[in-house]
Amino acid sequence: MKGKSKKLSVVSTLLIVLSALLMIVSIFFPWWKMIFFAPQYPEGLNIIVYPHKLEGEIDIVNGLNHYIGMANFSKANFPELSYLVYLVGGLAAITLVTALLRKKSVLYGLIGVFALGGVLGVLDLRKALHDFGTNLSPNAPIKIDPFVPPLLGHNTVANFVTNSVLGVGAYFLIAAFLLLLIPLWKDRK
Amino acid sequence: MKKWIPIASGLVAGFVAATISFADFSAKTTTEAASNTKSDAEKVYVPFGQKDDYYLFASGGHSGQMFIYGVPSMRQIRTIPVFSQDSATGYGFDEHSKKLMGDYTWGDLHHPAFSETKGEYDGKYMFATDVGNSRAAAVNLETFTTKDIINVPNTSGPHCAAFVTENTEYMFLPTRFAVPLEHKYESLDDYSTKYRGVMSAVTFDQSKEKLNVAYQVALPPWSYDLSDAGKKSSADWAVMTTYNTEEATTNLEINASQADRDYIVLFNWKELEKMVKEGKYEDVGGQKMIFPEKQKGGIYLVPVAKSPHGVDVTPDGKHFIASGKLAPTMTVFSFEKAFKAVENKDFAGERNGIPVLKYESVMEREVNPENALGPLHTQFDDKGMAYTTMFISSEIVKWDPKTGKTLDRVPVQYSPGHAVAAEGDTVSPDGKWLIALNKIAKDSYLSVGPSHPESMQLIDISGKMKVIQSSPVNPEPHYAQMIKADKIKTIEVYPKDEKNKDAVYKKDDTKIVRNGNQVDVYGIAMRSKFIFDAKAERPDVIEVNEGDHVRIHLTNIDFDEDITHGFAINSYNLNMEVQPGQTNTMEFVANKAGTYPLYCTNFCSALHQEMTGYFLVKPKK
Repeated sequence: MKGKSKKLSVVSTLLIVLSALLMIVSIFFPWWKMIFFAPQYPEGLNIIVYPHKLEGEIDIVNGLNHYIGMANFSKANFPELSYLVYLVGGLAAITLVTALLRKKSVLYGLIGVFALGGVLGVLDLRKALHDFGTNLSPNAPIKIDPFVPPLLGHNTVANFVTNSVLGVGAYFLIAAFLLLLIPLWKDRK
Repeated sequence: MKKWIPIASGLVAGFVAATISFADFSAKTTTEAASNTKSDAEKVYVPFGQKDDYYLFASGGHSGQMFIYGVPSMRQIRTIPVFSQDSATGYGFDEHSKKLMGDYTWGDLHHPAFSETKGEYDGKYMFATDVGNSRAAAVNLETFTTKDIINVPNTSGPHCAAFVTENTEYMFLPTRFAVPLEHKYESLDDYSTKYRGVMSAVTFDQSKEKLNVAYQVALPPWSYDLSDAGKKSSADWAVMTTYNTEEATTNLEINASQADRDYIVLFNWKELEKMVKEGKYEDVGGQKMIFPEKQKGGIYLVPVAKSPHGVDVTPDGKHFIASGKLAPTMTVFSFEKAFKAVENKDFAGERNGIPVLKYESVMEREVNPENALGPLHTQFDDKGMAYTTMFISSEIVKWDPKTGKTLDRVPVQYSPGHAVAAEGDTVSPDGKWLIALNKIAKDSYLSVGPSHPESMQLIDISGKMKVIQSSPVNPEPHYAQMIKADKIKTIEVYPKDEKNKDAVYKKDDTKIVRNGNQVDVYGIAMRSKFIFDAKAERPDVIEVNEGDHVRIHLTNIDFDEDITHGFAINSYNLNMEVQPGQTNTMEFVANKAGTYPLYCTNFCSALHQEMTGYFLVKPKK
């Protein structure tokens, strides 16, 4: 790269627009979910996390979790769910602006913001899992050792095996991120 | 355009991963029925994880209940209380079922009948009649619970029922015992003039789940035994058998078995419906009553060999087959011939004001398999072949209604009443399985004393008939119906009903409301506690004064399949259940002062034993 940066190519611009669209689309799909299996629940109970809501058999999971003194999963316990959609919308907006400006430097900035957001999101989820698994009520009828369910993969607690997986929305976000990286490679000098 | 490759591959990878995470890998869980290469044991063995192909709904007779079995395993799955109390499910204890049962505590559930659409079982409702206390009931097949019961006035014992018309327009409930209209006292010396054998046309409103008597017909004072609705070309018609056309009033065993011929009543329900619309009826205690000798038309008598029992319409709707009981004969009659005789007024006189058709002009053939005695009921297979139970010679006879030829016979142990084939009385029987409902099982199972259960024998009819399984059953299946399992669509939990004033779905909304001496408890049950008043120091305690009128409305807020809670109060003779999501009410007067523990009776969780509270009744001063 010598001297002043050239504008990003048309294809790269389109990829960035597509990335913004994928971010928007991701809002409508679950980002993450945890499936609970037990001998009595071979069909599995789900906690499905969207950027703005929780779905699945939340009441049943909460009902069962009260035996080990775990706090209730609810929208009220996750303030993130009330503003995450706006953060994603904002990121999509910045992405569209980047596509308009077609400047590599702005793209670098965008990628930085995106990556930072992603890391913060993962840390936030990890903290939530840590809090739920370790702040167990001392009055619970069944006492178990504090635990931290993994972000991804299996965990065993009492008669439950949990499996945490990414949702379709998360794959859209990953795809959106990859689309932002491609222009760097395509418009390399 | 190479540049697109990474994009495309990225997206594809994402979707593949998502599909793997979200895909439904649940396996299909039905077994294929009888295959000829299987042994008898393999044919009836349904391994864990798989389910039966058919539901069998068997009448529970004088238990007042309905028994649900799986076929071919012949495992009992459920008992539905209909006409009798059942403490296990709180039936007859909670307010809804107490009201349904009225003042009765038992019933004699005879003939179950599925709701039908175009002559096929539609799997929505099951109807049944109570010969003991003259009632009819409707059972919802989403929940397998009784939704409505009506008393049928002017009748005594609707044994000759329930058989529904092709699209469940009506079910007809003819009486077994003739009684005077409005059950008035009348001397038996006036039997022939003052007594009537009333038939009721009952409708069912599916949206309100309500039964209703549309009209009644004051038939002669005979006993009506069994009936069947027409199909296809005979869909507007129905047939029923009679005995005691002798009009005997004592020792019926002898006196009602004298005449060589009794009758099949053949009637056109569309025509009766029209007569009612045109006002051709009389008011009898609020019921629209057609008197056939006065309001003429639509009803005819067909002579038949004496004391017939069952009458069954062939799947094509062209014939009806009467079984002789005391005459060893199945008589095949032709609807077409009967219609022609009616049209031409080809009558052999009248009986009790009703035109009698000539036997020869309606009868198609008499079938009399050698030494086959006591024919009672007939079912059909997919080829239209008939399977008739022989009560006295204890066997099932397979025969061809078109030729009268006997095709196969198999002994059963012993004395079959009805038999039931898979969808064997619909317009399209499946041709799979026949179950003989036997009355005597004295040497079939381990002895339990002088009296034994009844027996249901499963017969493979895919080739030569063979009994391949025998299953004991409590008293007493009369008729049963067998429906393809996938036609039944049950719900997993009761949906929230925000309009139900008695329901509470949040712990914080629970409350105890007092109004004078009326106490209403709006409580919840959940794993593993009762909450009657969330704000109370002890939310699982109900405290009332002696003599208070108490209503406990309890909602099970575990919306989790099969997590049913029970609710009993010690020594108060009260128990009910609340299924997942359901709200039920228990109503009583707290007439015993003292301290009464209350507890969950239906094992619900590891801490079920702790799911308790107290019902405290302060004594009067």
